[in-house]
Amino acid sequence: MSAALTGLKLGLLYCQQCHSTVRAGSIAYPRCPRCHAHLHRRKPHSLALTAALVACAAALYIPANLLPVMITRSLIDDEQDTIMSGVIVLLQSGSWPIAVLVFIASIVVPLLKILALAILVYTSWRGSQRHRLQRSELYRMVEFIGRWSMLDVYAVSLLVALVQIRSLALVSVGWGALCFASVVILTTVAARTFDERLVWDEV
Amino acid sequence: MLVIVCPACDLVHRVPAVPPLRSRCARCRAIIQRPAGGTLDTAIALCITALLLFILSNAYPLVAINFNGTTRAATLFDTTLGFYRQGHQALAAIVFTTTILGPLMQIAALLYLLVPLRGGRTAPAMGNVFRFLSHVRPWTLVEVFMLGSVVALVRVAKFAQVVPGVSLWSYALLMLALAAVAHYASPEQFWRWTEKRIA
Repeated sequence: MSAALTGLKLGLLYCQQCHSTVRAGSIAYPRCPRCHAHLHRRKPHSLALTAALVACAAALYIPANLLPVMITRSLIDDEQDTIMSGVIVLLQSGSWPIAVLVFIASIVVPLLKILALAILVYTSWRGSQRHRLQRSELYRMVEFIGRWSMLDVYAVSLLVALVQIRSLALVSVGWGALCFASVVILTTVAARTFDERLVWDEV
Repeated sequence: MLVIVCPACDLVHRVPAVPPLRSRCARCRAIIQRPAGGTLDTAIALCITALLLFILSNAYPLVAINFNGTTRAATLFDTTLGFYRQGHQALAAIVFTTTILGPLMQIAALLYLLVPLRGGRTAPAMGNVFRFLSHVRPWTLVEVFMLGSVVALVRVAKFAQVVPGVSLWSYALLMLALAAVAHYASPEQFWRWTEKRIA
């Protein structure tokens, strides 16, 4: 594997924006001749930035799950729903496919995303040579499924917009929703700052 | 023949300039080349379709609910407005950006880039607009909103009658149109057209 011919060895740069391969000159801050994007051998400060963003996301994941995302006020009672209690309500009302969907998109996916990015950062930092293909595929999976976690935020946004009949019931947003949206945004940015080529780089 | 590097692992490949098939990296299995598909006109037509669907999605209500004789309808923008009125400006900004601003910017930027190409010219500040487009793309979550609204409607359906509006259907079609646009007007394809027209 150490004989693999890479762009790094040949002095070739890859443009992240227009996907072209460019020969690196002797210029200090090269730009893509086609789309004028800044070119880097590897994304700058990739591991540090990704680690910081993942740490923030992991910290926010706790209030995102403990704080209510939705508060339903009615004449009879005041109901505070966290993501998990929302899943349970869906389960009890018999719509289990939707309950499973929300559970996977809102609880499993963000957790897996945080763990996967943490593993990727740690192993790349260590310069691990094991399971490179699997780690590469793990990264692609994170990129692909990450966006679906916004599901519950949109569900709440539509409920808030619809149920505003003041005398009967009022649905309002809880701070959990903001924490939750922040987790999704932070992990999405973290996935973008992580340079997947680091998985394959020889240290 | 061209020399390209794999975007995912930096391995150097020698590939044909016009790819006959989709090809993957020999080391990490990432897709490194896609064959040309569709013409410039296909892409522009899809962009216009997406724009019309976008206008429909914003002009008509998404859903209406019947609750003890009272009816309440909500538009796409009401989802943003609801969060804003309750003092959650940050959430309102997130929902607005990902459901309305993102798709609109994506369609507008692509039309701005593609329409001049038909006449053999390039749009002013083409590089800037192109790079802006690649930053907007990950923040367009139309398909996630669609699934989210299904979840919301299942919850509401327990105590109220749900009437789907025009916008719900047009937004679902917008989702498909945007996926088609992303396929036919990929970054690689865009630069193929540009290089062909200028040269």
